Amino acid sequence: MDTKVKGCKELLNEVIDKDLCTLCGACTGGCPYLVPYKGKIVLLDNCTLSEGQCYKYCPRTYTDMDAISQQVFGVPYSEDELGTTKEVLIARSTDAQIKEKAQYGGTVTTLLSLALAEGLIDNAILTRTSEDKTPIAFLAQSAEEVLQGAGSNYMACPILETYNHFLKDSNHSLGIVAMPCQALALTKMKKEPPENRISINNVKLVIGLFCTWALSPDGFYQFLRENLDLPRVTKFDIPPPPANRFDAYTPSGKISFPLEQIRKFTIPTCAYCLDMTSEFADISVGSVEGIEGWNTVIIRTDVGAKLMEMAKAKGKLETDKLPPQNLAHLKEAALLKKKRALKEIIKRSGDKKNLLYVGLSPALADKLLA
Amino acid sequence: MATIDIDAPGTSQLFIGNEAIARGALEAGIGFAASYPGTPSSEIMGSLAPIAKKMGIYAEWSINEKVAMEAAAGASFAGIRALASMKQNGVNVVSDFLANLVIAGIGKGGLVLISCDDPSAISSSNEQDTRPIAKWLDIPLVEPGTFQEAKDMTKWLFDLAEKTGTLCMLRSVTRIAHARGNVKLGELPKKEQKAYFDQIHDLRNVMPTTFMPVPSALRHAFLHLKLDKAQEKFESSPFNYYVGPDKADLLIITCGSCWLYSQDAVKALKLEDKVGILKLGTLWPLPEKFVEKHLNKSRKILFVEEIDPFLERSVMEMVANLPADSPRPTFYGKRSKHINAYGELNPDLVIKAIASITSITYQPRDVEYGKKAEEFSKSSVPERSMTFCAGCPHRATFWAIKNALKLDGRDGIVTGDIGCYSLALGPAGFFQVRTMHCMGAGAGIANGLGKLGQFGFNQPVLAVCGDSTFFHATIPALINGIYNQSNFILVILDNNATAMTGFQPHPGTGMTAMGEPTKVVSMEALCRSLGARVEICDPFDLESTTATLLEMMAEGGGAKVAIMRRECELVRGKKEKPPYKVHVDPDKCIGEACGCDRLCTRVFLCPGLVWDKKVGKSKIDEVICTGCGVCTDICPQGAIIKEAA
Ligand SMILES: Cc1cc2nc3c(=O)[nH]c(=O)nc-3n(C[C@H](O)[C@H](O)[C@H](O)COP(=O)(O)OP(=O)(O)OC[C@H]3O[C@@H](n4cnc5c(N)ncnc54)[C@H](O)[C@@H]3O)c2cc1C
Ligand code: SF4
Ligand code: SF4
Repeated sequence: MDTKVKGCKELLNEVIDKDLCTLCGACTGGCPYLVPYKGKIVLLDNCTLSEGQCYKYCPRTYTDMDAISQQVFGVPYSEDELGTTKEVLIARSTDAQIKEKAQYGGTVTTLLSLALAEGLIDNAILTRTSEDKTPIAFLAQSAEEVLQGAGSNYMACPILETYNHFLKDSNHSLGIVAMPCQALALTKMKKEPPENRISINNVKLVIGLFCTWALSPDGFYQFLRENLDLPRVTKFDIPPPPANRFDAYTPSGKISFPLEQIRKFTIPTCAYCLDMTSEFADISVGSVEGIEGWNTVIIRTDVGAKLMEMAKAKGKLETDKLPPQNLAHLKEAALLKKKRALKEIIKRSGDKKNLLYVGLSPALADKLLA
Repeated sequence: MATIDIDAPGTSQLFIGNEAIARGALEAGIGFAASYPGTPSSEIMGSLAPIAKKMGIYAEWSINEKVAMEAAAGASFAGIRALASMKQNGVNVVSDFLANLVIAGIGKGGLVLISCDDPSAISSSNEQDTRPIAKWLDIPLVEPGTFQEAKDMTKWLFDLAEKTGTLCMLRSVTRIAHARGNVKLGELPKKEQKAYFDQIHDLRNVMPTTFMPVPSALRHAFLHLKLDKAQEKFESSPFNYYVGPDKADLLIITCGSCWLYSQDAVKALKLEDKVGILKLGTLWPLPEKFVEKHLNKSRKILFVEEIDPFLERSVMEMVANLPADSPRPTFYGKRSKHINAYGELNPDLVIKAIASITSITYQPRDVEYGKKAEEFSKSSVPERSMTFCAGCPHRATFWAIKNALKLDGRDGIVTGDIGCYSLALGPAGFFQVRTMHCMGAGAGIANGLGKLGQFGFNQPVLAVCGDSTFFHATIPALINGIYNQSNFILVILDNNATAMTGFQPHPGTGMTAMGEPTKVVSMEALCRSLGARVEICDPFDLESTTATLLEMMAEGGGAKVAIMRRECELVRGKKEKPPYKVHVDPDKCIGEACGCDRLCTRVFLCPGLVWDKKVGKSKIDEVICTGCGVCTDICPQGAIIKEAA
C-alpha cells in the first residue's frame, strides 16, 4: 500500500484513469487544473506540484481509517457493520410539502431546513436534478431552496467542488449532503485541514446518504435519454429490496426497468467501496425496507444528535424505532458491501496484504475477509 | 510615414523601400493599384491609398492577391497603368492567373507586379524566393539594390511593360522594403487619364473576343519574342554595372540588398583593388552579353544572393552555352557551400565567403567584443517570448478552445492558418494549433480530417482563421465542408482588422483602402446563407465560449461556424480608455501554492501579469495591462480584481 501523498499526475494515473474515481469532487473546485465534466475529472493543464491536495483528500488514495475515525469520533475505526453509531431509528417529516417532494420520509430536507433556520449553518451544499435531469450541485440558503433539492438523482455528482469553491477568507458555515465517498473525503480534510480554501471547521454538518452504488452521469444518462422522454420525468427511485427495480415517474405513470439492466451503468469504483451507510457523516439517512414514506436514520455524532433532538422538539420530524429485523437486514447488507468490496480490491491488487486505498487494521481486515 | 506625393522634383526624400516603389509608380503615372496586405509588402499600398484620391488614382485592398492582380489587369486592358503588390506567398496565389496572363498579354496600360520576399521568413510562413516564378512563367524581372533604384526601376518597368506588351515584375526583399534611404524625386505626371477598353483595335495583347482565338502555343511563341525584346533592353540597362579593377582576383555577381552587403564586405577587407562586383538589376531574362563581357574579369566567380541560387544557375546555364574554347571560371556560391542556401545574408557572411575563397584570414574584431555586445544588448532588453499582446482576444479564444478540447476529451485537433493567431503553435495559444501552411489551408485540411469517420476517426476538428483570412481563401473550403458534409467547426477569429499586417480594412470592416465607408460584408449572414450553423461568441466570456464550442463539437454533423468577435486590442486601445483597472490582491494571491501553481503567469501568460519572485505573488504590470479583465475570470483564488475604470 502506497501511503505517500503525490500530485495530480499520479491522481490521474492511479485513480482517474484506473476507473477508481468516485466523482466526489474533492480534487476540484479549489484547483484551476482539475475540472469535473460529464462524469469525468479532466486535467486542463499541467500542474507542477509533486504533492497536491487533490491527491491528499481523494477518497481513493490511501486513507488511514483508524486515524480519521479518531479525528471525528475519538475512537479507532469501528468494527460494527454500520460504523460508529449513537442511535439507529426511523423518521419522517411532518411537513406535507416536503413529504410530497422528498424521496422517502424527507428527513434530509427537513434536517437541512432546520439547520438553516436555526443558524447552525448559513449555506447548504446539496444536489438537485436539473432541467435536463442531470444532477447538479447547488447552494441553498433557505427552506424553499433546500426543497428544490428534495428527491434522489442516482447519478454521481461532484458536490465537493462546490465546497472547494469557497475562498480561504470565507466565514460561511456550511452543511453538506454527502454520499459515503464524499463524507470520507470530508473526513480526510478534517484530519489534515486543507489550505487556501474555506476552513474545514466551517463545515458544521454532514448529512450522509446510504448508498449501494451510484450511476454514471455519462453512460447512464445516455441510457435515460434513449429510453425515456426525459423532460416528462418527475422522479427517479430505486425502491428498497426486494423490489429490484429502477423507477421513473411521469405524469402518465411509472416506467420501470429491472435493476439488471441498470447495473452495468454503475460507476466502476463503487465495487471497491466499503461504506453503505455514510459512516463518517454526523447523521446518515436511507430508506426503510417495507415501511414506505419513512427513513432509516443513523445518528453518529453530537452534532447529529443535537439536530435530531431539535427536530423532534420542534415537531419537524416524527420518529419511531427501527424494527429489529430491519436493523438485522441493514447490518447484513452493510457487511455484504464491505466483504464484496474487499474481495474486489484484492482481486485488483493481487495481494491479500494490499488493500489499495483502504488503511484498515490487519485484525479488522482479516475479520472482514473471513 | 513620408508623404510620397510631394511635388518637388530634384529634391531628396527619406523613403523606406516600399514608399520608394509607390513613388516610382506615381511618377510612372499609374491610375490603378490593388494589393492584399502581407509583410513586407504592405506599405506600398499603405502609402498609396491615403493619397490616391488627391492624386486622382484608384487604390484598393483586394480580398486576395489573385483578385488584386486580376483587377489590375482589368485596368491595364482599358489602357490604365496598373500595379499589384504582394508578399511572396501572394505570388503563388496569383500564379494560375499569371500563367495565363502572360500568354494572353496585357492591355495598353503598363502592368507591373511587385513581390516583396522575406528572406529568413521574419514575418512569414516560409522564405520562398519568387525570382524562379518569374523565370518559369516567362516574366521580365528586375530587383533594386538601392532605395533610389526601387523608385526608378518601378517607374521604368511600366514603360518596359508597355513596350514589350507583357507583365513585368519587380522583386524586393525585407531589407529594401523596410529600410530607409535617400531617394531623389522625379516629376509627377499631370495628364488626365481616360479608360476605354477598345475591343476592336486593342487586340494586340488582350484575348480576342470577336476574332478566332489565336492558339495558345502560338501565343507562347509570341511571348518569347516579347522576352527577347526585354532582354535587349536589359543589355543596356543602367541598373546593371560593374565596380572594381579590370582584372580581379575574384568577381562577385550579386543583386538586390546583397549588393550592399557585398560592397561592405569588400570594403571591410580592403580588397577594392582585388575584388570586383558585378551588380545586376535586371535579372530575367539574363542580360547575357553584358554578363559575358564581365566574366573574363576573373577566373573565380562568387555569387552573393539570398535564398535560391537564381543568378548562380542562370549564369551557369549561360556559360554552358559559350563556345568550347571560352574561359571556364570556377564558381563559388550556394553550390560550393560558400554562401548559405537559406536565410538572410549579411556583410559578415559575405566576408567569410570571400576570405575563404581568397585564403586570407580576417578577424573582424576581437571575439570578446561580440560576446560583450551580445550581453550588453540582452541586459537592456527584457526577456520576452513571442506572445499575443496584453488584452488580445486571441489569448482568450485559445484558452476557451484549450479547455473545450480537454473537457470534450476526444483529443480534438486545431488546424491553423496565417495571421497573428499562428502564434498559437506555441505557448501564446497554449500549443493548440497543430498545422500552419498557407491562407485558407486550415479549413481545407479540416475538410479532409472531418470526413474520416468511416475510418474510425472521432477527434473533433476546429479550423481557426482570421477575419481577413476568411475572406481571402477560406470561403471555398467552408462551402466544400457544407457541400460534402465534413465534420468540422470553422472558428473565425473576428477582430475586425487585418491585424498582423497593420490593421488594413477588409470586406467585413465597412471601410475601403481609400478611407471611404462601404457595405459591410457580413460573415455570419454569408455563412448562414450557405446553410451553416453559425454561433457568435465573445471570447472574453470564457465560460460561455467554452460551452458553445463544447456543444457544437458534441453535436457533430457537417461544417459549422463559430465567430469569435472582439476587436483587436491595438485597434480598440487607440479609440477608447481601458474598460477596467485591474490589480492583484496580494493577500488573496497564493502564487505557487496548491490551489494555483501560478496559473496566470505560468500558463495564461498575458504579458500584463508578472511574477514577483521575491514576494511569491503575481502582480499587474500597469504599463502593459490593457484592462481587459479576462484574467480575473481565470484566477482560482479571486485574487485578480477588476474595477470599472
Ligand atoms: C446515488 C444514490 C444511491 C443511493 N442508494 C441508496 C441505497 O442503496 N439504500 C438506501 O437506503 N438509500 C439510498 N440512497 C438514499 C435515498 O435515495 C434517499 O436519498 C435517502 O433515503 C434520503 O431520503 P429523504 O426522503 O430524506 O430524501 P430528500 O429529503 O428527498 O433528500 C434527498 C437529498 O439527497 C440529495 N441528493 C440527491 N441526489 C444526490 C446525488 N446524486 N448525490 C448527492 N446527493 C444527492 C438531495 O440534494 C437531497 O438533499 C441513495 C441515494 C443516492 C443519491
Ligand atoms: S474520487 Fe473524488 S477526489 Fe478522487 S479523483 Fe475522483 S473526484 Fe477526485
Ligand atoms: S492566478 Fe491568481 S492566485 Fe494564481 S498566481 Fe495568479 S493572481 Fe495569484
